[in-house]
Amino acid sequence: MIVFDRVSFSYKQRQVLKETSFSADFNERVAILGGSGEGKTTVLRLIVGLIKPDAGRIFIDGEDITDKTEDELRSTRMKFSLLFQEGALFDSLNVKENVAFCLREYTKMSEENIDRKVMELLKIVGVEHAIHLMPEELSGGMHRRVSIARSLAACEPRMFLYDEPTSGLDPINSDNICKLILDLAKNNTGFIIVTHKVSDALKTAQRFMFLKNGMLAFDGSKKELMQVDNADVKEFINV
Amino acid sequence: MSYTLKIKHVISELQDFYILSIKGLCGVFRKPFYFKDTIEQMDYSGAGSFLIIVIVSLFVGMSLSLQLSAELSPLGLEIYTGKIVGISIIRELGPVIAALVFTGRVGAGMSSELGSMMLGHQVDTLRVFGIDPIKKLVTPRIVSALIMLPALTIIGNAVALLGGYYISVYVGHQSGALYWSAIREELIFENIIAGITKPFVFGYLIASICCYVGLSTKGGSIGLRRSTTKAVVASIIMIIVSNFVLSRALLYILGFQI
Repeated sequence: MIVFDRVSFSYKQRQVLKETSFSADFNERVAILGGSGEGKTTVLRLIVGLIKPDAGRIFIDGEDITDKTEDELRSTRMKFSLLFQEGALFDSLNVKENVAFCLREYTKMSEENIDRKVMELLKIVGVEHAIHLMPEELSGGMHRRVSIARSLAACEPRMFLYDEPTSGLDPINSDNICKLILDLAKNNTGFIIVTHKVSDALKTAQRFMFLKNGMLAFDGSKKELMQVDNADVKEFINV
Repeated sequence: MSYTLKIKHVISELQDFYILSIKGLCGVFRKPFYFKDTIEQMDYSGAGSFLIIVIVSLFVGMSLSLQLSAELSPLGLEIYTGKIVGISIIRELGPVIAALVFTGRVGAGMSSELGSMMLGHQVDTLRVFGIDPIKKLVTPRIVSALIMLPALTIIGNAVALLGGYYISVYVGHQSGALYWSAIREELIFENIIAGITKPFVFGYLIASICCYVGLSTKGGSIGLRRSTTKAVVASIIMIIVSNFVLSRALLYILGFQI
């Protein structure tokens, strides 16, 4: 379980989270909505310890990770698979090498087994034909898919964290990524998807949070979201 | 920003730089070892810089010899051309020129590559995968600089001395045998140690500074431009300053009379 206990965070003078508290189970399908700069991505970065909160505590599986060092955070990070906006593939490596990266790093698999595993993962995300391409030769959608395959090779995550997985994609590619997100969640692996696209959130998530001015302005189900009274949330989902 | 905040910021940056450079060096002794990355870096920094170092060193040696011949010949002191070229190249110019070329080609590359990885969240991805970015990215670059810069300096020195020889003999009409005997006289243990110690220090400084600045990149393409410039400028200043400090220290340690 992820627990945020009155977490605050600022980028220099700009406070993006103000004593935000929430909790989420690893098998939940959560969407964090909100405008640009409202701290959605910050929440994901805080969960995996890439940044430290200014105040408040963060608990993962009951363990306080707030003050943990990089070495101590390693085991916590392996519980998650974080997909950055635009994929963050290593641009000096081709698709195969990107996906094989963690297999080479953490396992003693033979080259033959690595090849087999890479192909298997690329088939899951539907980009096996791009195995020898370089990241700059991939389309936006393929980029995200390869990135998902790479994170699947890294570990068997208990939860996926998606940072704007469909931003900059056409509707068909966006829909394909949403389907992939749902497919990967089939075996009870939850996810948190950060997005400003309400349609993608509605397609994938069961629980919705809305961040406004550093505070959690809404936290509830799809039904509750549709009947929300909060003017900001209403405006956001209706637009 | 007030002066107090500026001072705090500088101290904090120096502290971060110190930690990164020490951790980067200590990574050599801690598992996992990234041999492949180190070899790739050595190829990029060493083989890639070879031709530039050869060209620059050749012309520096030729220019130095030309100037000395022009000044010393009218005084009948041309026999000293080899001696002065030898001392200048081996102790001072060779290591500094190689380090400056290395900064321009390799240091700038290191900084912009790491900066681009920072901006593209590739460094964060490494952290999420549980991989220490300092071990993976900084240590191979420091090791490659520590090996390749001294090697390039030795090659550069040899080429510069050859360039000096060509000018003294074919332009200054001096005796080649005299030139080489003067050079041989300068190839004593103290001079070689003085010339070889510097590239190790310069290599470590260049790699540490450029990696640190690269990994601190923020703010898109303008931030990347700013950090690459900052890395090159800081490295050049540190090379020139540390060259003086090292020269003074080595002259003292090796017992040269001033």
